[in-house]
Amino acid sequence: MKQKVNTEVKNLQPEELTRRDAYIAWIRWWFCNTIPQSVERFLAPALTWALVPILRKLYKDDEMLKSALKRQMLFFNTQLTFGGIIVGLMASMEKERARQEVNGEEITMTDDLIYNTKAGLMGALAGVGDAIDSGTIQFILIAIFLPFATEGAAIGALGPFLAFAGYQFLIGFYFTKLGFEMGDKATTVVSGPMMTKVIELLSILGLFMMGILGANFVRVNSTLEVYLGNENYFNLQETLDRILPGLLPLAVIMGLYFYFVKKGMKITTAMGFLAIVLGVLGFIGIL
Amino acid sequence: MEINMLQAFLIATWVWLVQSRVFFGGATVTLRFSPLMTGLVSGIIMGDVTQAMIITAGLQMIYMGTFAPGGSMPSEPSIATAIAVPAAIGSGLDPAAAFAIALPIGILGSYLQQIRFVINTFVVHMTDTAAEKLNFRNLMIHANITPVVIAWILHVPVIFAALYLGVPQITAAIETLEGTPAIHVLEVIAGGLPAIGIAVTIYVIGKKQYLVFFLLAYFMSVIFSDLGITMVTWAILGTLLAAIFVMTKDSKQEPAIAVANSSAIPVASGDDNDF
Repeated sequence: MKQKVNTEVKNLQPEELTRRDAYIAWIRWWFCNTIPQSVERFLAPALTWALVPILRKLYKDDEMLKSALKRQMLFFNTQLTFGGIIVGLMASMEKERARQEVNGEEITMTDDLIYNTKAGLMGALAGVGDAIDSGTIQFILIAIFLPFATEGAAIGALGPFLAFAGYQFLIGFYFTKLGFEMGDKATTVVSGPMMTKVIELLSILGLFMMGILGANFVRVNSTLEVYLGNENYFNLQETLDRILPGLLPLAVIMGLYFYFVKKGMKITTAMGFLAIVLGVLGFIGIL
Repeated sequence: MEINMLQAFLIATWVWLVQSRVFFGGATVTLRFSPLMTGLVSGIIMGDVTQAMIITAGLQMIYMGTFAPGGSMPSEPSIATAIAVPAAIGSGLDPAAAFAIALPIGILGSYLQQIRFVINTFVVHMTDTAAEKLNFRNLMIHANITPVVIAWILHVPVIFAALYLGVPQITAAIETLEGTPAIHVLEVIAGGLPAIGIAVTIYVIGKKQYLVFFLLAYFMSVIFSDLGITMVTWAILGTLLAAIFVMTKDSKQEPAIAVANSSAIPVASGDDNDF
């Protein structure tokens, strides 16, 4: 009788989780990600599907497995790569929960704790992740390859795509490992001084590249030339160039930027306004 | 430009691969936010990669800084590009005119994504059921395949129709404008619109205090424009500059003793310099 009870408990024991399990979860999360996105749960199905192999390893009891799946199917929305931290973290937390549940210990790793940790992190990581990845790194890469695109070369499109997609795929392994091994201490790495410096450097580089792009691709110049008599011409563009080369394009960029600062990022309005101003000036011959 | 059914279908299929987010999963992030790859694929299918890339570069300048924080965006660049580029190739269309086409289509296209998110709510409930029954095969299907099929139904017929029926119309309309002052006006607008993308990106990166780096880069580029410095070189310069700045900022906060202790020159302690 005693032996039967022992084997029953043994069969329910969670399997050991390895780093490889976390990496597979990352790949699944990376692939599925926003495919099932819905207004009701956003990316929860992707997180759940990513964790399925791990949850099946941890929970040999059907009821425990069902409730684990249920709590991972709750609302979840975060960024692709930094969200990897949460994928790893969930694996780590479920591992502890499985251990407690199967061995009849007091459940400190409650449903609420698991969800609240997830919910608390998803917003912050989304903000940081979106800003760094899509908001800065993506555009730095695009800027580097843009001259090829303007010449008509395919590398202008392939370069940024492969570089950015490759970067995101690879860095996710690091973030998932971070969440898996450090548990909730992973967030101290993300909010620590190293990350702040990285963000600072990327932001400066992003702004720098925008300056280069602005000088090369924003073309606003005056065609106004007035004949003053006696072989004298007044050429507006030449005059402006003698004051400050590149003045007009810079004025347009800065004008738009301060419009966004004052009135918020109303892109369509700004675009319409700009088009009208440029159109009219172009029509009457100033530009 | 003439467009045949196969071309319209292939381009619509590409857009579906991007907007359903199934084309190598996470790789679709930049495929959705940037016109570049969609422009390239459209160019390949329409048979003029060079023209397509030039037009798309112009579109990218305008869409610079565009991404979807939180997952939704007011305009879908991929759909916009997929229609504008075929319409623009062969009619020598200015990026401004191409963008004039792209803008409303991009906005309409974003509604497709919103509808997708709503319909996927039903799929999520099917996923819940699969989880309750521990039916892992169905869970996989409803997480990865069902939404993609729905996205196909939403995107392919509409975009096919827009391309096959719409592109010849748009091209004809633009061609009637040739030779009129409208072309110069469009050129002026085309030259200035990229400023939007730049301003948006500066705003999105935030950090007003670093605007000086933008201005520095701008003027350096203008002054040294005859030297033909490549983008990669500029990127390296920018990175070095940023690194120097971040390092200097950091060391200013370190107490002087710590800096002195880490110096390579040995400081003799207890030495009194009597001069």
